[in-house]
Amino acid sequence: MEETEKSKAYRGDFPVRDENVDNSFKYEIANQVGGEGLLRCLKCGACSGGCPVGSVIDYRPRKVLGNVLLGLKEEVLSSDQIWLCAACFTCEERCVQEVNFTDVVTVLRNFASQEGNAAPGYVAMAKMVMKNGRVTARTQLVDKMREQLGLPPLQDPAIEQLNHIMNAAGLKRVFEAQKEREDESE
Amino acid sequence: MKKAIAWGCLVPTRRSLIGYEAATRKVLEHLGIETVDIPNETCCAPFWMQSLDLTTSIAMAARNLAKAEEMGLDLLTPCSGCFHSYKRVNHVLSNYPDMREKVDSILKSVGLHYDGKVESRHIVDFLYTEIGIDEIQKKSTRDMTGVSIGLRYGCHMLKPHELLNIEYSERPNFADELLEPFGINSVQYPGRHRCCGGLLRGVQDDLADRILHERLIDVNEAGVDGIVTVCSLCHLQHDMGQRGIKRKFEMDDLEIPVIHYPQILALGFGYSPKELGLDLHTIKTDKFVAKVMGGGKR
Repeated sequence: MEETEKSKAYRGDFPVRDENVDNSFKYEIANQVGGEGLLRCLKCGACSGGCPVGSVIDYRPRKVLGNVLLGLKEEVLSSDQIWLCAACFTCEERCVQEVNFTDVVTVLRNFASQEGNAAPGYVAMAKMVMKNGRVTARTQLVDKMREQLGLPPLQDPAIEQLNHIMNAAGLKRVFEAQKEREDESE
Repeated sequence: MKKAIAWGCLVPTRRSLIGYEAATRKVLEHLGIETVDIPNETCCAPFWMQSLDLTTSIAMAARNLAKAEEMGLDLLTPCSGCFHSYKRVNHVLSNYPDMREKVDSILKSVGLHYDGKVESRHIVDFLYTEIGIDEIQKKSTRDMTGVSIGLRYGCHMLKPHELLNIEYSERPNFADELLEPFGINSVQYPGRHRCCGGLLRGVQDDLADRILHERLIDVNEAGVDGIVTVCSLCHLQHDMGQRGIKRKFEMDDLEIPVIHYPQILALGFGYSPKELGLDLHTIKTDKFVAKVMGGGKR
């Protein structure tokens, strides 16, 4: 977390040069499910004002939006900034322009994940779900406590069905990209 | 009235959360609502999974909805994360035809179909809008006057209100109103509606700690007998996470019990603390329970 405190803010390099800018990036994002609001952003900063993460570290949703609109594709998708949102939806609720920052972040994270830049914690949780059908492992201890409380026995999740669903869309690529990234760094 | 119910991943499998399930089952039974568990329920693929791949997540969540639809039932859930996911499924499927096509074909490949007809409701919102305060009042048998709580709605039952079909999202009062028949004092304190950082747990742990620290300062200064949570993540943060915050930030006087919202209702209906799993929480609930039980019978 030290790194975040030091504000690893997209190099923080100014001026931004043409060669660092991808003009089509914002349209790419706006074309995705949930990304439509991006182009309506006025950069008023209401999102940053209500952000619970911004109240403890130097993290500003407006800055993320600004960088996306500017076209700093590489910086945005490889930065840990897009993984700091706690998904409380306060900014989404307050935004007069209905930018829906949290949904835009989801699109950005999906893009980053396809490139192997997913938050390792979330990837680990997804693997847990593949294995158990739930994000938690069932334990004998809790099973016994359930019995003592008079709760019905836990049903086994439909793991096979779930795995098939998980492998049918883009998540498979996320795992592969993550593995490639890990192999590269070894 | 009959509803399908999705419990989520955490509620039925964690020691400090099974009391949430026990209390919810008792409250619904007490109010004459019949429930059927989603058969072989799987992960609802909430926000963190949507972060990895939205299409996959929508298809995963649609699996449980398809099961509810097969039974011809609308869905209740005590988990705010599940509630949010299921609401998003219907929203996405009805607004994005391309996505609908993809999800349909994924479901078809595992022998499932989802038309998008299941209405999902959070248990607390359901109790307020469908059952109502008068009905709760009629069934209440325990007076909790003198007991003060800090009620946390959490984020994912409320925001964004258009997606979730909730009227008040920023400064809601409905869950407080529902507790009025028991005479309980729900203290309005700064920070009670702010995020607890729960979704950052396991990904940005230090950040999750620092946000939780702020929330615990808020509620500690409010001087309440207990925190009452609606969201299972809020509960994990405030209950399981509390000792860690106490040590890390040297908050020596910190010791606030964390109660699940339906546990309060069930206590008010006359159920015993033991059958609601109140002895299973990380932070001991003894003092809180003693204060509740010390109150009179109606």
